Amino acid sequence: MAKHNSLAPEQNRSRVYYTICCVLICLIAFTFLFPLYWIITGSFKTKTEILSTTPVWFPSEWVSINYENLMSKRSAPLFSFEALGYRITGPTVPAAIRWLLNTVVMSVSSMLLTCLTAAMAGYALAKKRFYGKTILFSLIVCAMALPKQVILIPLLREMSALGLYDTLWSVIIPIVGWPFGVFLLKQFSEGIPTEMVEACRIDGANEWRTFTDVMFPMIKPGVGACAIFTFINSWNDYFMQLIMLMSTEQLTISLGIATMQGENSTDFGLLMAGSALASVPIIIVFLIFQKYFTKGITMGAVKG
Amino acid sequence: MVKNQVSYNNRQRRLVMQENIAAYLFLLPFLFFFVGFVLYPMFMCVYTSFFDATMGREDIFIGLDNYITLFQDEVFWIALKNTLLIVVVSVPITCAFSMWVASIISKMSVAATSAFRCIFYLPVVTGSVAVTMVWKWMFNNYYGIFNYLGKDVLGILDKPINWLGDERYALGCIILILLTTSVGQPIVLYVSALDNVDKSLVEAAEVDGATSMQAFWKIKWPQMMPTTLYILVITTINSFQCFALIQLLTSGGPNNSTMTIMYYIYYNAFKLYKYGYGNAMGVILAIIIAILSAIQFKAGQEK
Amino acid sequence: MKKIVALLLALALVVSMAACSATEVEETQPQTQAPAQTEAAAGTEAAETADAPVEISLWTYPIGKWTDEATIQSLLADFNAVYPNITVKVEYLDYTNGDDKVNTAIEGGQAPDIVMEGPERLVANWGAKGLMVDLSDIVPEGTYESVIASCTGTDGAVYELPVCMITHGMAINRDVFEAAGALQYLNEETLTWNSVEDFFKAVQAVYDAGHEYVGAIYCGGQGGDQGTRALITNIGGGTYANAEHTAYTYASQENAEGLAKLYAQDGIVFDTAIVAADAIQNFVNGTFQMSFCWNINDELNNADALGFDVLPMAFPSDTTPSLQMGIWGFGVFDNGDEAKIEAAKTFIQFMSQDDAQYTKTVEATNFTPVRDLPGFETVNPLITEYSALDPMQGDYYQVTLGWTQARTEWWNMLQRVNSSDGSAEAILAEMQTAQDASNAAAAG
Repeated sequence: MAKHNSLAPEQNRSRVYYTICCVLICLIAFTFLFPLYWIITGSFKTKTEILSTTPVWFPSEWVSINYENLMSKRSAPLFSFEALGYRITGPTVPAAIRWLLNTVVMSVSSMLLTCLTAAMAGYALAKKRFYGKTILFSLIVCAMALPKQVILIPLLREMSALGLYDTLWSVIIPIVGWPFGVFLLKQFSEGIPTEMVEACRIDGANEWRTFTDVMFPMIKPGVGACAIFTFINSWNDYFMQLIMLMSTEQLTISLGIATMQGENSTDFGLLMAGSALASVPIIIVFLIFQKYFTKGITMGAVKG
Repeated sequence: MVKNQVSYNNRQRRLVMQENIAAYLFLLPFLFFFVGFVLYPMFMCVYTSFFDATMGREDIFIGLDNYITLFQDEVFWIALKNTLLIVVVSVPITCAFSMWVASIISKMSVAATSAFRCIFYLPVVTGSVAVTMVWKWMFNNYYGIFNYLGKDVLGILDKPINWLGDERYALGCIILILLTTSVGQPIVLYVSALDNVDKSLVEAAEVDGATSMQAFWKIKWPQMMPTTLYILVITTINSFQCFALIQLLTSGGPNNSTMTIMYYIYYNAFKLYKYGYGNAMGVILAIIIAILSAIQFKAGQEK
Repeated sequence: MKKIVALLLALALVVSMAACSATEVEETQPQTQAPAQTEAAAGTEAAETADAPVEISLWTYPIGKWTDEATIQSLLADFNAVYPNITVKVEYLDYTNGDDKVNTAIEGGQAPDIVMEGPERLVANWGAKGLMVDLSDIVPEGTYESVIASCTGTDGAVYELPVCMITHGMAINRDVFEAAGALQYLNEETLTWNSVEDFFKAVQAVYDAGHEYVGAIYCGGQGGDQGTRALITNIGGGTYANAEHTAYTYASQENAEGLAKLYAQDGIVFDTAIVAADAIQNFVNGTFQMSFCWNINDELNNADALGFDVLPMAFPSDTTPSLQMGIWGFGVFDNGDEAKIEAAKTFIQFMSQDDAQYTKTVEATNFTPVRDLPGFETVNPLITEYSALDPMQGDYYQVTLGWTQARTEWWNMLQRVNSSDGSAEAILAEMQTAQDASNAAAAG
């Protein structure tokens, strides 16, 4: 009885505190939602409304001119590659489509490559003893925080020497080399009991089979997390794209829109239309893989 | 006896060797990218920092001159100070804020938790250029939303503040925008970490009369430690990489109050073509980051 | 065990050496080949290469409609009708990232064949670094008399084939000025202010009529800094750089006093968060009543959002205003391939020699021609209105050495002035600091 009395005010107080917090979080959530809302509605506004000094919260008249400009002002072949001396070129489409396609190809390739290399390397770092392990791991930890601007100039010279400048590879490769995925999956692999790996080896499976049949299925959530992390990172890797890509056929969506701007005049409508178009796929990816992402990343972190 | 010993040693050596080969084969694909496109450019970066390298002519060896100039360069020190300030301020705030948000939204219904988690993640996935433009508009001196709220609605400000154009506020504004683009992942992580906290321990503590505060610090906090450390690492990385915001909003101004090393490297290398000088700055930054990572990592291992 | 380590080290070494040597080959090739080839091919005619298919690249900055795909494709169609063997691959640049892109391309050994821009980049920057081809053999004597000096480097080589030019001015919201009774301080025929004093009176009149922000000295970056430079040097009456274009001279008592007057004037705000693009946007939406950065393209770009009558103006001055010119034209990069250089020369000659074709080329820029072009002004009535500014064109000092760094010093100086007490002494000190740094850069 006495205990109950002493608890009641405490519970009341925490309920009030909780309610206040909820209201606060709703308010803050609005500021997080606002940019996206503003971009999407803005992409349907007329130029006058976009430039207006009093905020136009909702377009008074929905126009599609920004999307029309985006789709009509530049064109590019849908795909083009050289094989066996022939140059194969796809049909001409609005350049924005090609840019979107490039962005997807770039993000997906870096995602797949990173996951594969990082899972293998993470496994080796976690479960194998080898010469130079400590040094390699220290290098990985140090390089992880290294901003790309630091190595940009040498990287640029290297890419052009290899003939990769102005190709999507020049953006994909540095992402794959960035050791964050390895770090993540190493932490993850360490959580897998060594006995399981050893049991499999004793059963006579070779190294590769051990990895594909035992290890990989168990670190799958971690790989999922690594995949989403890499995908989003490379989608947003504006700076590397800016330096490495040049020609209309190679641009990504955010770069492409930038080249459509005039001197001393920013076409905000066009910018917003392009950004809306670019955000939709990635938001969908996030919504679909949200659960995976959450689970994978947390497990990786907790195990670390 | 001796013979046995030798063959045993031989076998062991063979096994060790086998394991080494296997390990390196597994590492090979990653090492190809890592050595070729991270370590090699890093090495070249150190190498070029001893040269007067610019566009259109051969590099000239100048020894430590770049570093000497660097240490005498006032803007470099300002940039270094600002960079560290951004890290020191934004990392703890990001952690604290995301933990607070996570602790509130994790108590909501599943749908609400999921919805809020998405909302806080949105700025991460929406393209940075457009989001930055929206923020620029919100901070606008003449008709921005902050001045409108502060002056016309709440009446706190008697005259509009030029948020991004005022030395006192500009860096704060940058940090604020950086926060909105970096709390997404920590919130997702903390929500899951809170879910994974051993519920029976919390209940036991509550039965024993512990306040929710006590329960949090004594039980939940230690269990979330690994998550927190991980978040510290990724947020630090994120804060060091803060570049696009500066480039799009302030170009390092006003009066270098938002100049960061990242931007200063870019400015020297791509505007003034001082490649060697930019690389010297990169080397210093890399050393600082290496030291910080080492400290963080040591702390993490001890915990 | 040691074998493995040795093997790996060897592998790493081979990889890095391969990368190294590849870099060297890429880098040295153009440099060693270029002079020999230029000499060898100097005598050969374009006709020799006319039949072999050549692909050249043309990178354009947003000069009027020169980044508009439809316009460019029609110009290219004209060209390919005559020269079907030369394929021109166009890439479009923007002023925010364009310089970075050209610079990285140069660094990466992938510089374009033709770039369309102005002397500050083609002559003073890339030309001075020895990256461009001397075009003096294809520039007809006497044709471009008014601008050719600006297109010529300190070594006497012509690095730009000029195409068009414009006079940068400022603009006022005529409706607001009329309502405030401020039109009496200016001359609508000549587009000039009666005097510097009258300019300040006009600003005061507009301010008193209830417009808190009349104009802004933007200094958040280098974008559109030609406006602030011209404003301050015209009000003060000083110069920006010496006549030889070897040193900066703006830190003078007159210029400092002019800036101090602006600093003290009601309605003139210093804004360290915006650049010219934002200032123009604020002018168009009615926040500012004047813009210190304006030319015909700004009016055309904003035509559908302008809700008032724009009056282009010269900068206020007590003598004849000295306005900034913009000259745009073609520059050819020396990529070491003589066939491409010839093709590039063929292209830029085609675009600028024949009157009919040249008219199209210039029309695409919305600016005015740099040589006699009969009947041009009838094309666009706005051009006639804006051409009243042309006689006031001043020195083209943007080719002064160290220009890139000098631009940064300039807007940083304005930012420091903004946080100073605004006295002429303080401003002069800040100007001196910026000028010293710029001159140090100019000296190399």
